Parts: sequence; C-alpha cells; structure tokens
Amino acid sequence: MSADAATAGVIHDIGYQRYTGQRLGRAGIIRALYWHSLRSAFGIGRGAKAKIIPVLTFVVICLPAVANAVAVARGSSRIVPYDTYTFQLRVVVMIIYIAAQAPELVSRDLRSHVLPLYFCRPLRRLDYPLAKLAAFITACLIMIEVPLLILYLGTIAQSHGGSAIWQQTRALVPGLLVGLMWAVLLAAIGLVLASLSGRRAYATGAIAIFFFLTWILAGILISVNTRNVVHAVRVAPGAGGGAGPGPGQIGPPVVVTQVPTNAAHLSGLASPFTILDGVRQWLGGTSPSPLPGVGSYGALYGVALLVLLAASIGGLAIRYRKAGVA
Amino acid sequence: MQNQGQLNGGPAGPDQPAPVIETCVLTKRYPGTVTALDDLTVTVAPGITGLVGANGAGKSTLIKILLGLIQPTSGRASVLGQDCQRDSEQIRALTGYMPEHDCLPPDVTATEFVTHLGRISGLPATAAKERAAESLRHVGLYEERYRQIGTYSTGMKQRVKLAQALVGDPRLLLLDEPTVGLDPAGRNSMLELISRIGAEFGISIVVASHLLGEIERICDHLVAIDSGRLLRADTMTSMTVASQVLMIEVDEGADQLLAELTRRGLEPRPYERALLVRLDGDDTYDAVRDAVADLNLPLNRLEQQRRHVEELFRDDPGAAGAAPGQPETGSEPVEASHVG
Repeated sequence: MSADAATAGVIHDIGYQRYTGQRLGRAGIIRALYWHSLRSAFGIGRGAKAKIIPVLTFVVICLPAVANAVAVARGSSRIVPYDTYTFQLRVVVMIIYIAAQAPELVSRDLRSHVLPLYFCRPLRRLDYPLAKLAAFITACLIMIEVPLLILYLGTIAQSHGGSAIWQQTRALVPGLLVGLMWAVLLAAIGLVLASLSGRRAYATGAIAIFFFLTWILAGILISVNTRNVVHAVRVAPGAGGGAGPGPGQIGPPVVVTQVPTNAAHLSGLASPFTILDGVRQWLGGTSPSPLPGVGSYGALYGVALLVLLAASIGGLAIRYRKAGVA
Repeated sequence: MQNQGQLNGGPAGPDQPAPVIETCVLTKRYPGTVTALDDLTVTVAPGITGLVGANGAGKSTLIKILLGLIQPTSGRASVLGQDCQRDSEQIRALTGYMPEHDCLPPDVTATEFVTHLGRISGLPATAAKERAAESLRHVGLYEERYRQIGTYSTGMKQRVKLAQALVGDPRLLLLDEPTVGLDPAGRNSMLELISRIGAEFGISIVVASHLLGEIERICDHLVAIDSGRLLRADTMTSMTVASQVLMIEVDEGADQLLAELTRRGLEPRPYERALLVRLDGDDTYDAVRDAVADLNLPLNRLEQQRRHVEELFRDDPGAAGAAPGQPETGSEPVEASHVG
C-alpha cells in the first residue's frame, strides 16, 4: 500500500486524528440501530431490488383505500370498514411483506456472522433484538395504518360538517388500535421465525409456511365446525346469508343458514390472524370477517394473543442471549 | 512508547504506566470438562502485545471475557482500569475488536458497513461517516471502499475488519488472528499496518496469534498461554535474544547436511522436512551457505522460521514457568546425531 500512500501524498499526511466529539450513550445507539433497521425494512439504503416487494405490497394494501376515495367522491358512502379493512387482502399482503422483509432485518446479520461486531460495542445483549423488534413493529404499523389513514382522509374529504368528520374519526380510532395489535403480534412472530435461520430463503419459507398453513387450518376448522341448517321456505327475500336451492335439488326452495358451533368459535385460535380478529370481536368490533363470532370465548382469544406475543418475544430474547458469542 | 500517557485516562503514577489489561486467577470452564482458562494471572502494559498460544489455548476465550461477552467461572479481569464484569459497556466503548472469523456482509459497501458500525460504536451520524472514511483510508482502502465487500480479496476483507475496529477511536484494539488466511505479502502488510497503528496512532494493541514468529516482529511484549495457563509474559527482547532460528530445507541429502552442520558446531535438529539451527548472526548464514555449497546440495529454502509458540519454550530452557513436562533441550541434537 506504500505506493498508494505515496500517490495519496498530502491527504495521507494528516495522520491519525483522535475523536474528541460527542459520543452517544446506549439509548442513542439503540435509536441508530432502530433507524437503520426501519430503513432496511423498506429496502431504503439498499439496491433497487430490495425495494420491489416492500413497494409492491404497500401499493396493493393501499388500493382498497384509494378505491374507497374514488367511490366516496362519486357520492357513495364509505365502502371499507376501519376495523377489518379488507381482511383477506390484508392477511395475504402482510404474509408476503413479513416473509420477505423480516429476514432482511435479522437473517442477514446471522448469515454473515456480523453479530459479534454488534455485541463488542457498547450495547447490551438484548438491545439488538429490541431495536430490531421496535423497527419491524413500526414497519408493520406503516403497512397497516397508512391505508387506514388514506381511507379516513378519502372519506372525510367528501364529508360535510363537523359531526360527519367526528363520526369518521370515532370509527377510525378502534381501527387504528386493531392495526397496532396486528403490527405488534405479526412483527414479533415474523422476527422470531426469521431469527431461526441465517439463510434468507429458509427464513422466508418458514414464515410464509407458518402463516399460510395456520391461516388455512383455521379456515378449514371454522368451515367444518359450522353447521348448515336447512330451512324450507315459502317466502325468503334475502334471509340472512343463506343460499338458494342447491344445484339439481328437487323440492321446495330452501335456505341454508350457517350456524357456528362452539367448536367454530374456538377454531379461530388456530391462526394468529383469527386470534387477532377474535380479540377485535371480543372488544366489540362488529364488521363481518371470516371468523364467525367468538361466542363466549372472547377472553380466551385475549389470553391466546398475549401468550403468542410473549412466546415470540421470549423466543427472540432467548435466541439472542447466546447468539454471536461462539 | 509515546502513547503511554494517553492510555491512563486518569491520574496514574508517572513512572509506571497503568496496565491496559489485568487478570487475576481468571478461570473459565465450559460445561463438561473443557477448561479454556486456568488460573490465568497476567498484566499487559501499553504498547503492542502479542498473545500467543496454539489453537485452543484460550486466546479467544480471554478476549471474549475481556469484552464482557462471556463471564469467567472465577477470578477477575479488568481492561483500562474497568472491571470486565461490572463495567463491560464502558470497556466496549473504549475497545475495538477484530474477530478471527469472517464477519462481513457481502452485499454492502465497506463505507456503508463501517459507517453503520461507527454509529453502533456511539458516533453521531456525521462523525461516523467521517471516521469511517478515515479508518478505511488508514487501513489502505481508497476507491475500493465504494465497492461491495463481497468483491474483495481476503486481504481487503481483513482490512475492513480492522477498519471497523478502529472506527470508534478506541484506546485498545483486540485483534484475533489478524493475519489468518493471508498470503505472505498480505501478512507482512497487515503486520506493518498493526505496527503503525500501535506506534503512530497511540492505540494499545493485543494481537492474538498462534504464529509466534509472525507477531514477534511487531510486539513490544509477549504473553504466551497454553491450555489456558500462562506460560510466560515478558518483553519481546528478553524472549527472543536466544531464540532466533534458521530453517534450512534441501530437496535431498538432508542427512548429509545434518552431519556437516553438526561438524561445524551448529547443533542442527530435524524439524519436519527441514533442519533448524540456532541463529547467532551472519556467521550462521555463512556456515550454512558453505555447508550446502560444499556438499553441493539443492537448497530449497533458507529462512528465519515462523515458529509456533511451543517451540519458544523448547528452544529456551531458561523460560520461567515453562511447562515442566518439556523434554530437555540439550538432548535433541544428540538424538539428531543418532539419526545422522
């Protein structure tokens, strides 16, 4: 390198400078790590390829809110509820987003064995997962709450009078709280699953499989535990949720009412998304969703939410208490 | 030793520089029967200190305890006057660590990576950027620093590892096998760099290595450990005076050469495929040259040997605290002459 040093000449002669400026404490360092992680959750500061999925999923999850704004502008009333948004779309988009981005936050550092370089700096052992979790919760909040805000703004843009706006605001707040619940739980599950493997593909696969399988399982359990009650009808204009006569069925017209059994009320416990929805219904959310009520098990959903959250955060803490030392 | 005064960080005695590292009957046992450190008591003065020992001697364990990354089973350790268990955060704020193993992400540039780690060292954003650029320049990475690390050679990666240890302006650098995986030229420039950082930057350095011959050139002090126990701690000069060794390798006729060198009073002994003689100055070189020339042997290699640490104690029977089980040095040439 002496040749390079010679050509660099004057610059090189500055010599080593001691750093005498300000040094951030632990809190400042955690904040720096938080920002760095939040940016990488959206591919900011990385190549264009890293931004494809965050941008795409964000655009898709905002579409219903934009559609609502258009509909409201044409005179319709609000077409999307705040507390469930568009349930199925939100589930699918969040699975894709988390499966793609949670490994971005934790698996890369595991893969390239960077952790010792964090832990040899003035951080405590659990500061690293804490900053990562906070950053990813924020990222999920952005994914979930920004569409709600677009929905709100699109709606009140056409509202006239303070009371109409107040009504929208009152409906929005529970929606935001449900979104917060989603963000915290999904981010925690996503990160703990991602931290199991340094290989991005495995981590992404584990997250996607876990969320999709449990989601499908909950759907199956709900449908097998929902009893179809067949009523013969004479006059049935729009009897609740029923179907018309079955194909090829002979006889008088019937209406099939789907009556969830107790087992169906419990089936939602099979998946994080239906657990979140169970808690929403327990707390008074009324918009329809794939989970047909929680019966008298609302509190159980609350407990399930807390247990799942505690297990995820605890798992993350255990994962990083030992990682990176060896 | 211009750096000693700065290292104290407080009112210490003017004559005796405050030690950089002190350990007191430090022991680390891992579950099972593995004892990584065994009653290690050692004091490291400011300057460049070589921490030598075979692989598995406990060097990395010691470094991790010093950084507060693992807890000792018993005993105490302190770095820059701070207790390793109680004040490990302060220690880590003053210490730069270069791990032995690969620890770099392939898909970011060196600038981005070192800047980020500068922030994690506690530097504000602008300062982190400036110091990252400086550290990379100090380790000899110029335009390359805007390239992704994955495209770097091993030597450049080692430099990035060193730069990230340097970015927070540490008082102490702990370098774990900094020359691992490098070719001879790369090793030399890495050692030169370390030596320069120690001398010009006023940063105390501990270099862990299993190759004594390599780091002895740049060290002021040497700490040798084996199986977690202190073999010897001393200044470099007192250790190497009588332990310079020349390695001679010939393609054929090693036995003849052995006899010839013995005849010339050099006390050679076989070592793997080569012969070792004690180096007492230019005379030794002349004698070896003449012996090889007289016998008309094809000389393959003639160099000052990069010795492993255990040889230090074989070569130097006077070593205080040398393991008692070592064979008497004097007997070796005798055995050798049997072979001859």
